[in-house]
Amino acid sequence: MSELHWLTATEAARAIAAREVSPVELMTALLERIGRLDPKLNVFIRLDAEAAMDAARAAEAEIAAGRVRGPLHGVPVGIKDIIDVAGLPTTCHSKILIDNVPAADAVCVARLRGAGAIVLGKLSTHEFAIGGPSFDLPWPPARNPWNPDHHPGGSSSGSGSGIAAGLFPMALGSDTGGSIRNPASACGIVGLKPTYGLVSRRGVFPLSFTLDHVGPLTRTVADNALMLDVIASHDPLDPGSAAAPTGRYASGLERGVRGLRIGFVRHFHETDLPAHPEVTVGLQNVARSLQGLGAEIRDVNLPTLGEFGAVNRVILQSEAWAIHGPWLRERPGDYGQLARRRLLAGAFISAGDYVQAARRRLQMIAEVEAALREVDVLLCASAMDPPSRIDDAAETERTYPRQARTPFNVTGHPALAMMAGLSSNGLPLSVQLVGRNFAEATLFQVARAWERAGGTDEKHPPAM
Amino acid sequence: MDRAVIEVLARRAGLDKALAEFPEDVAAAAEQASGAIARMKAPTDPRAEPWPPMRTGAGL
Repeated sequence: MSELHWLTATEAARAIAAREVSPVELMTALLERIGRLDPKLNVFIRLDAEAAMDAARAAEAEIAAGRVRGPLHGVPVGIKDIIDVAGLPTTCHSKILIDNVPAADAVCVARLRGAGAIVLGKLSTHEFAIGGPSFDLPWPPARNPWNPDHHPGGSSSGSGSGIAAGLFPMALGSDTGGSIRNPASACGIVGLKPTYGLVSRRGVFPLSFTLDHVGPLTRTVADNALMLDVIASHDPLDPGSAAAPTGRYASGLERGVRGLRIGFVRHFHETDLPAHPEVTVGLQNVARSLQGLGAEIRDVNLPTLGEFGAVNRVILQSEAWAIHGPWLRERPGDYGQLARRRLLAGAFISAGDYVQAARRRLQMIAEVEAALREVDVLLCASAMDPPSRIDDAAETERTYPRQARTPFNVTGHPALAMMAGLSSNGLPLSVQLVGRNFAEATLFQVARAWERAGGTDEKHPPAM
Repeated sequence: MDRAVIEVLARRAGLDKALAEFPEDVAAAAEQASGAIARMKAPTDPRAEPWPPMRTGAGL
């Protein structure tokens, strides 16, 4: 068996159910590791160690008595601090909400607890999931376990960093312009932005109502499918929730890719935003590998990243202004500078601009739908560069928008980011896979084929 | 965007306090917004509909 901190959620759940590992033993090992590594990584805003240990003891007693709550019984999970956990502050990593304590769990948290998962605590994010990495907030930004001098991506920064560092096997994140897939890319793990509406947003602090998605971050594809099985559900009280069938996301994991058609969106990284040469090599390697496993690789063209990015920005900033306008008027000094600048932009976008963006959005959805009628899955870049140094504000500012994730917030299609390899200086490189609406199972099938071929689930940060 | 125009728009949005305390941030935000609007290609077909918010594209 792996060291306890490198157990995947699937392995941990199986070992706990078989009584080979006790939830208390696992929790003790993780809390010891968190105590040792978190001061270097700043993953947690609020570690709820006592409650987590109490829950581990309760899980141990229940399992000993033959009562298994669900597929994640006794498995620890971290929660991005824009997602409500009853009794713990949801600060959104901001002074603005420093005393905001919800009475109830978000729906996604309640579903995890219902399956037996144990909440470890609240995780670092960019302020309100948009302003970061920032050094002018009440808590420091999370750091990358592959090299703590580097940015772990954001905005679900603590989720990505903590999983890659072996502090917990799974976490919840949110994604409005790439905020699950960015830390998955920078930290070399697996992050899924599900189809819009598949996972309830109720109890998650909004950034942009029509672009927000909640999803899983894990170290393996199988864990991601397992976690999605638990959190995907129709929620009649979330106006964006889809009444789509859910479940069995892991059913085709080991089927391979023979006969699948994969559309390679090369112009994203070749001409729209020319990628770092090592990123390009990584993407070519993934495409070649999948082709070698029997997939057909075709070139696919979509609207440019510049245009997708502009539509995303106009919608995001308009909707975010509707949320933050009152605080920006009264308490502008309580935001960090990055969030303040990004959120103020919505004050300068007219209603007409917003509607134009929504009209162009519909056309873009149709264009991606048309592409996905010809292929089963799209393959493209996630980040165009390896992770930047966290203290190099200019480099972070330059590289942060150099990504291909926003298109699929605009269109709502499911998109998964994972490791494509390592750069020459030992930092993760990434690839993105995009599927048809509600076809997450196919996405996992392709991702698992690459994971197995590339051995990406066996790579851990050496310093950790 | 012209500084005077930024100031008028910011005051109309109720951002007097932000203008007084963080004028550079207000100006940077206005530039971001105008840049995004300029890069966006609005549909030329007058009948083009907006995406109905809160619906996914499965039925398109």
